[in-house]
Amino acid sequence: MNFFPDERAAELRELFFESAQELLQDLNEAGLALESHPEDAEIIRRVRRVVHTLKGDSAACGFRELSTLAHEMEDALRADVIHGIENSVVEVIFTAADTFQAMLAAYRLNVAPPAGEELREHIRRIARSPQQARPAPPPAREPARKFDWSEAQRERIAESLSRNEPVYNISLEIDPAMGMHAAAFQLVQKVLRNVGAVLAVYPVDAAAAEYASHIEAAVATDHSKEALTAKCKIPSVVSSVALERISEAQEPSQDLLEVLLQAEARASGIEPAAAPANRRDAPPPPRAIDESVDHEKAAARLTADRTLRVDADRIDTVLNLIGELIIGKSMLHRTIIEFDKRHAKDPLRTRFADALALQSRVLEELQRSVMKIRMVPVEQLFRRFPRLVRDLSKSCDREVALSLAGENTDLDKGILDALAEPLAHLVRNAVGHGIETPDERQAAGKPRSGTVQLNAYHQGNQMVIEVSDDGRGIDRQKLVQRAVERGAISASEAAALTDAEAARLIFQPGLSTADRVTEVSGRGVGMDVVATALERLKGTVEIESAPAAGTKFRLMVPLTLASIQALLFRIGGRLYAAPIANVLEITRVTNADIHHVDNHSVIRLRDQLLTLVYLEQPNSAETLAAKKVFVVVIGLGDRKFGLVVDALMGEEELVIKTLDDRLSTSDIVTGASILGDGTVVLILNISALAARLGRMPALGAIA
Amino acid sequence: MTRELQIVGLRIGRETYGVPISLVREIVRVPEITAVPNAQKYVEGVINLRGKIISVVDLRKRFGEMDVENNKKNRIVVVELENRTVGLIVNSASEVLKIPPSDIEPPSSVFLNGEIDYVTGVGKLNNRLIILIDLNKVLNGGELRHLDEVDSPPVEHLA
Repeated sequence: MNFFPDERAAELRELFFESAQELLQDLNEAGLALESHPEDAEIIRRVRRVVHTLKGDSAACGFRELSTLAHEMEDALRADVIHGIENSVVEVIFTAADTFQAMLAAYRLNVAPPAGEELREHIRRIARSPQQARPAPPPAREPARKFDWSEAQRERIAESLSRNEPVYNISLEIDPAMGMHAAAFQLVQKVLRNVGAVLAVYPVDAAAAEYASHIEAAVATDHSKEALTAKCKIPSVVSSVALERISEAQEPSQDLLEVLLQAEARASGIEPAAAPANRRDAPPPPRAIDESVDHEKAAARLTADRTLRVDADRIDTVLNLIGELIIGKSMLHRTIIEFDKRHAKDPLRTRFADALALQSRVLEELQRSVMKIRMVPVEQLFRRFPRLVRDLSKSCDREVALSLAGENTDLDKGILDALAEPLAHLVRNAVGHGIETPDERQAAGKPRSGTVQLNAYHQGNQMVIEVSDDGRGIDRQKLVQRAVERGAISASEAAALTDAEAARLIFQPGLSTADRVTEVSGRGVGMDVVATALERLKGTVEIESAPAAGTKFRLMVPLTLASIQALLFRIGGRLYAAPIANVLEITRVTNADIHHVDNHSVIRLRDQLLTLVYLEQPNSAETLAAKKVFVVVIGLGDRKFGLVVDALMGEEELVIKTLDDRLSTSDIVTGASILGDGTVVLILNISALAARLGRMPALGAIA
Repeated sequence: MTRELQIVGLRIGRETYGVPISLVREIVRVPEITAVPNAQKYVEGVINLRGKIISVVDLRKRFGEMDVENNKKNRIVVVELENRTVGLIVNSASEVLKIPPSDIEPPSSVFLNGEIDYVTGVGKLNNRLIILIDLNKVLNGGELRHLDEVDSPPVEHLA
């Protein structure tokens, strides 16, 4: 007994929550697919499989409410439900996804799950609707199944054929007026057994037949076609009979319909003695799952065997240890350099160097491999948006198509998760604010349906995710006006804003251009969330917007939060680092080159003005006058500034250690790292430094 | 069953402050401290504690102690609070005190005044007074006042 049962159960439950999340995602996707292909019965089957799995898993974990509801849902989703009111089925699927989600959330928190009455109501409706939707079925209605026998059944048929027995595929339409399908099924089965050997039958049993509108069978018999038809046509039970002789066991023939015979039948009840089993207790309804699905499942199982679900914390622990190793490596490196200096002639030196080279190569590989474990395709993030866009466009009366690109781009799981909320805000904004109503769009000469695009790609050591729409663009005037009204900027400042700076105002907390607050957007918190989240991720966001042409948000985040390539420099005796991705160039200027304009120091760099930032106040005028200083030119999105540093210390890969307590967190330092000699180096927060520039234009061309 | 409380005594100026021994992870000599620009005033900076970076607060400055001369006796008391590890600089820390609960008095009303509500009690031990403090409150609150200043009627200090 290695495991405590409690621990085991908790682990199991955790696994269930994980897989349930995926199942719900599947459910959402199936709903969307069904909406675009309302006639595809395969989607219904897919939904049923998903719900079925959810039912089983939740029952195993003891989540009874969920499994009961899933069971009801599964029951309601007969293959022919699709012929009811299509949209209502889609609605049921979405409602189910939401309800299950809510229940899962409740289970996670160990509180009583919601009853899911809305879903039950939906289920009841579709359970009834097929009959109501088509009181008189069209004469040539296609049966949902066409002798789609399983492998075992086909083998049996083939066996009969090999004995030269005539085998017929028989399809019987159950009289719509006949209430009890299970009873009809039993009757038909009896008749068929009388005429010959029943090789295969669909549905599988009486309980399953309760939900079927027709019966199919493969029968080996000596009776003639006509005699068979006559035998099967049970008055007031079977309305029509179609049969076809099987020449060889092969794919079902489409021609079958041509021999579909019509029969009249009068409605009349049947003895309730053969009453069907209670629906609630019925075993899983007709398994319309054919062997191709079995193959699919087998393939899925195969990949599942090769996939491990591991708690992200465990990987993080490994990554942290590698971080320690890297520090250890640079300690060793420094020691060996020291050794080299002292014992320049010692033959041990080369052996040290070799060992060190090997070690660092392996270490690098190790770090990359572990980091790769944490990487997941952006698809995991993108796949939740089709549903969001669908719901949003419905609720705001927009026509919006969502297009996704670059789903296979890999990104650190932690970053991915942190991006979910900001991205949702951006998409919500794009649909709610960006895209105009269809009428407005038509008036503006655009297609009625707007497009929201999500695109992901790698750029250097960064990941870029773009959210763009072809809507009305950001109303600069309105935005600036709001900002002035709210006192975020003064009127004179407002006049001096460049377009890019004006667009950035959108990130001010509480600022919204929406005229009214809707459920979707307009409270002005969304963009604030985006800015904060990106700051936490050491990422940046850029906005491009053109009136009437649309808006594009470009989020840039590092590929990993574990380490960065950084430039090290000294300011006022302290060691700092800045992400090398933000360093555009390094230049050296004398103090004569520095001009002071309106409380800001600027230099002229290739005919452009560059604002300088001092991290620490220069202590005296003479040190200022005496030295030549280095200026590290830092770019942040479309902004650019120069950081004045005393000395450059080189480039190094830093393992980021977060300053996790609020005490030493200062706005301009995002984290720290430890160098090989144990020195602590502080990593600068570039966006906070840029914010120090205030609303001064960071970059202006010299006229 | 009354068990005596185990308290680590921290010397700051003339006073001895006490924190529960369960919070104290280790006591180390003061290494080189890297100052963090723009951090709060009483935060000295960060140190490298065997590969982990932790923040260091000068408790002497926090309590308004004038004697902040550094000498060899100074120590950093590393404490663990609510999943974070913080170093506290004190004049010295060496003793573990055992105080029976009966010898601990609740903080007098003087201490309950807003700014120094971090005092949780006063322990008596051989004619010494040990001021028991709630480190969470010490580290989360804003600026603190020195205890001496509160000896006179506290109202003036609340202005």
